[in-house]
Amino acid sequence: MILNADHPWVLVLLPLAVLPWLRSPHRRTAIGSIAVVPADRLSAWVRLGLRIAGMLAIALIILALSGPYHGGRLVSRIGTGAQLVLLLDRSGSMSDTFAGRTPEGAEESKASATKRLLRDFIGRRPHDLFGVAAFSTAPMLVLPLTDHQDAVLAAVNASDRRGLNFTNIARGLGMALSMFAADRPDEHHVILLVSDGGAVIDPHVQDQLRALFARYRADLYFLFLRTAGSKGLFDEPGPDENTPQAMPEHFLHRYFQTLGVPYHAFQAESPGQVEEAIRQIDALERYPITYTEHLPRRDLTGWAYALACPPLLLLLAAKLMEARVRVRPAATRPDRRVAA
Amino acid sequence: MRVPIAAMIRQNARDPRVLALATAIVLAVAAVALPRLPITRDGVRVLVVVDITGSMNTRDYSRGGAPVSRLVVAKEALRDLLGRLPCPSRVGLALFSERVPFLLFEPVDVCRDYGAVAGAVDSVDWREGWEGDSHIAEGLYGAIAMAQGLDSDLMFITDGQETPPLPLSGGPVFDGKPGAVRGVVVGAGGYGLAPIPKFDDRGNEIGFWGVNDVQHENHFGPPPPDAESRPGYQARNAPFGSGMPTGTEHLSSVREPYLRALAGGTGLTYAHLEDGRRLTRALLAAATPRPSAGHADVRWVPGALALAALLAAYGLFPTARWWGAVPRFVNAVGRWS
Repeated sequence: MILNADHPWVLVLLPLAVLPWLRSPHRRTAIGSIAVVPADRLSAWVRLGLRIAGMLAIALIILALSGPYHGGRLVSRIGTGAQLVLLLDRSGSMSDTFAGRTPEGAEESKASATKRLLRDFIGRRPHDLFGVAAFSTAPMLVLPLTDHQDAVLAAVNASDRRGLNFTNIARGLGMALSMFAADRPDEHHVILLVSDGGAVIDPHVQDQLRALFARYRADLYFLFLRTAGSKGLFDEPGPDENTPQAMPEHFLHRYFQTLGVPYHAFQAESPGQVEEAIRQIDALERYPITYTEHLPRRDLTGWAYALACPPLLLLLAAKLMEARVRVRPAATRPDRRVAA
Repeated sequence: MRVPIAAMIRQNARDPRVLALATAIVLAVAAVALPRLPITRDGVRVLVVVDITGSMNTRDYSRGGAPVSRLVVAKEALRDLLGRLPCPSRVGLALFSERVPFLLFEPVDVCRDYGAVAGAVDSVDWREGWEGDSHIAEGLYGAIAMAQGLDSDLMFITDGQETPPLPLSGGPVFDGKPGAVRGVVVGAGGYGLAPIPKFDDRGNEIGFWGVNDVQHENHFGPPPPDAESRPGYQARNAPFGSGMPTGTEHLSSVREPYLRALAGGTGLTYAHLEDGRRLTRALLAAATPRPSAGHADVRWVPGALALAALLAAYGLFPTARWWGAVPRFVNAVGRWS
């Protein structure tokens, strides 16, 4: 059992516990000579007992004042999960519905549907470390990897607000990767990219990203929210549109396949399909992960006060039972001794 | 010598040290039995908006002799503030660039999730800015609306440098209700003009903004009344004159009068960015107190008194003999004077 204290500085008072060895709460009786009283072993034991009781009472009350507790430590445990960075598209089009309109009435925007489903997803994975990054014109690090689910949920809550203009996926991915620790084969890294549009990544940046993926080793999940009427990830380009500019989504998908990391693409055209995709990701990403847990804290203050009571009672009893030793006035200079 | 026990106890009970010991026992028992008292505590709920535009990179603060940028000082002060806020307090974070605040996360409990929020504050970077412009007034009005939507107070950290400069006709008008959102505008930067670092497309620093790199005058709206006296003035083709306007917009200092005016117009207070302690004080003075139920452990009160009583029983505190010294001391002082 490891003891801890809330206010350890109070413990500097502990030397006060030697006080019973220096002073006594009992009366002093002046007697002529110490030799008058025969050595009494019982008295010596009583004196020792009372001193110990006094010391215990003082020490225990000081200990109680310091707020002792045990437990409350962090322990490392192994659970199932992963280190997961949610890379969320915050471009303006995410505020539209899957039909590409401004949501009206009960309709849900792509961002709102994603937010709702991600919240469930986070709630189901208690041991994951989550990080959140957003991208639109520039990548934004929203929350570094953390096990504080409330903070992650607060960041996901903010994700369906009106976003900015563009979709810069490449820089977003770079930022998401940089949130992991490099060269840690024991950790399992996952990036969940949620976007409703592709973007052209220029060849120079493509190489940089490939190098980053090789360094940080992260599984990539691409949850593509397809708006009605737009091109899909898996559509084969026609003869006249076989360029990244014409079909950025498809070419992005092809590029991700060449990254050399586990890559899964999901194309969702409705909130239901988003849910299905998230459920699959949940099932796939089950790896051992070390997580920390706070052991419950047991407060010992009350115990310390309670333990101080018996010695206090003993002291009081001794004080009440104190005998009055009558001595004749001494003619010579009195030698003072404590009568226990 | 046999004394009846009852008489002995009665006799001993007159000793003040018995009283002290009995008090110590009663107080110790009270400390065991005392429940936690319900109390209300005032926390805050605040949305912090940090300006991450280029001028926030100006290094006009100094820490340990080295120049540091406004953004670094702002982050450092914010981190410190997180630890100083009364519990439970909630803090949300947004970035400002161009003309709108961008919400990173809604207010979360900083006492419970301190590590996460502090980590997020640490990773604020000017590179996350999405536009070079900074329309401070518009950003502030947007931030006020955002804070209102989140039912929180506002802390807006900026240097107040409008880029491009406001048109001569004045800036945008606040159409909200002044005072509906409480909070503080925090002015970052030194009072003297300092050069603003310039970065290339990849984020590498390449010197400072020069006088010819920036716009010194906004040509939206009507020209100034003295335009006719400017060289090259022509009512239709050159209403602002033909000369290149020059000024000090490529340099930066905290625009305190402007920020004070903005704060005054929106019902916020103003504070200059110094350190976490002063930032916390400014926020707590301006913020709405948000009482929440808590429990106070007051067992230390009877506990400390029990200890005092016990020590008194051992004669550590003034006894009658010591008290007797007081009149003697007074007499002595009287004799000397």
